[in-house]
Amino acid sequence: MNGPGVIFWGLFVVCGLIVLGYGFWMVRTERREEK
Amino acid sequence: MSTQMLIFVGYFMIVFAIGWYSLRATRNETDYWIAGGQLGWFTGGATMAATHTSAGTFVGTIGVMYTAGWSFGWVLLSIPLAYWFMVAVLAPRFTRQKELTIPAFIETRYYGKGIRGLAAAIILIATVVYIQAQIVAGGLIANTVFGIPTTWGMIGFTVILLAYTVVGGMVAVVYTDAFQLVVMGLGALFAVPLTLRHVDGLGGLLTLVESAHPLVFTWETMPATLLLTMGLSFFLGGVATPEKLIRLYAMKDMRTIRRGVLFAIVMILGINLLVFVLALSSIVLFPSLATGDLAMPMIATAVLPATLGAIMLAAITAAMMSTVDSLLMVAGSALSVDIYQNLIDPDITPGRRMWIDRAGIVVVGTVPVLLLLSGVGEGDLVQFIVLLFTALMASAFVLPVVGGVVWRRATREGAASAMIGGTSATFLWEIFGTPTIEPVLCGFIVSAALYVGVSLLTPPPPSSALAPYFD
Repeated sequence: MNGPGVIFWGLFVVCGLIVLGYGFWMVRTERREEK
Repeated sequence: MSTQMLIFVGYFMIVFAIGWYSLRATRNETDYWIAGGQLGWFTGGATMAATHTSAGTFVGTIGVMYTAGWSFGWVLLSIPLAYWFMVAVLAPRFTRQKELTIPAFIETRYYGKGIRGLAAAIILIATVVYIQAQIVAGGLIANTVFGIPTTWGMIGFTVILLAYTVVGGMVAVVYTDAFQLVVMGLGALFAVPLTLRHVDGLGGLLTLVESAHPLVFTWETMPATLLLTMGLSFFLGGVATPEKLIRLYAMKDMRTIRRGVLFAIVMILGINLLVFVLALSSIVLFPSLATGDLAMPMIATAVLPATLGAIMLAAITAAMMSTVDSLLMVAGSALSVDIYQNLIDPDITPGRRMWIDRAGIVVVGTVPVLLLLSGVGEGDLVQFIVLLFTALMASAFVLPVVGGVVWRRATREGAASAMIGGTSATFLWEIFGTPTIEPVLCGFIVSAALYVGVSLLTPPPPSSALAPYFD
C-alpha cells in the first residue's frame, strides 16, 4: 500500500480501534459492577 | 408530482405520524422534556447521533475537506473520545439526580435561582441564533426541491419542525430522530458506491484525488494549531453541550447510557467516514467549485440518479431537522421552565405548566423566522454565529457541569464567573484573535482559571448542594 493509501485507511483503523477500546471498557466496567 | 417531491412528501408524512403518536405518549412534564427518562439504548443512542449530525456534517465537513484535504478528517477522532469521557467521567454522578433541564442541574449544584437564569439566558441567546442559521439552510433546500421562494421555504421548514416538536415534545423528537438517522445513513450509504463508480472505484479515487489536489494527503493544508484547537472544540462541544447532556437524563440508567453512546459513536463515525469519501470524490469530479459547500449539492444533483439524489437531499434535511428540533427543546425549556416558571411565575399551576412549556417552544421557533423576515441575521452574521455556537457552549458549560460533579470545592460564584468569563473571552477572541487558533481555546482557559480561582476564594458550597452528586 502506498502513502496516500496508508493515510486514508489509517483513519478508518484508528476509528475502529477507538470503538473496540470503548467496547472492552464497557464490558469490563459492567463485569466490575456485577461483582 | 416529481419523484423528488414524492420522496419529500412521504418523508414529512412519516415525521408527522411519529409526532402525532408521541402526543398520546406524553402525559406529564417529565415525558415532555426528557421522554420520561426511560429511553432504551437504541432510541437514546439514535437521538444522540442524529442530534450530533447536522447540516454541518453533510455540507460543511465536505466543504472543509474539499479545500483542506484529509488532515481535517483526523479531527473526527475527538468526537468518540469526547463521548467516552462523558460516559466514563461525567454521567455516573451527573445522572444520580435527574432534572428536566441543564439549568435546573446548575441550580441544584450551585444553590441559586439566579445562576440558573444566567445559564438559561446563555443557552437561549446562542441557540436561537443557531436555529436561525439552520432555518436559512432549510429555506434554500425547499427552494431547490419544490421551487418555492426561499422565504416561504423558511416559513414552511419552521412550521413543520414546530408542528411535531410542540405537540410531542422530547418523545416526538427522539422517535423522529431515530427515523431521520436511518434516512441519513441510507443517503450516505447509497451515495458512496454510486459516486465511486464515477472515479474508478476506491483505488482509482486515491490516485485521481492526489493528481487533482497534490497536498490532499499531507499535513500542509491546515496549520497544526488550527487542527488541534478544532479537535479541542469538537471534544469540549461533545462533552457538555446542553442538547447532548439532556439525553443522559432521558436514558434509563448507566447501563443503557453506555450502550446507547456506543451505538451513537458507531453511527457518527460511520456517517462521517462515508461523507469523507464523498468529499474526496468531489475533489476529482468537481475540481473548481467556487466554494466547498457546493460539493454535496453537486453530488446530489449531478452525480446521483434523481431518486437517490432526492434521498440525499432528504438526508441533508433530516440532519438539519434532527439537530434543530433538539435545539428547539433546549431553548424552549430554557425560556419556559428556567426563566418563566423559575423566575417570573414560580406559583404557576401544574395545569398551566404544560401550556407554557409548549408556548416556550413556539416562541423560540418563531422569533428566528421573524428576525430573518425583518432582515436581522442574514448573510455573514449567521455563519459567524454558527461557528461560534459550539465554542460558546463549551466555554460556558464544560467546567460548571463536569467540575460540578468531580470537584466538591466548586462554588456558585466560581461557576457564574466561568460562564460569563468563558463566553466573553470566546467572543472577544473571535473578533480580535488570530484565525489560526479556534476561539474555544481562549474561552476554555479563561473559564478554567475563573472557575478554579473564584471557587477557592469564596466560601465552600453547602453540603445540601453536594449531597445529590457526591454522597
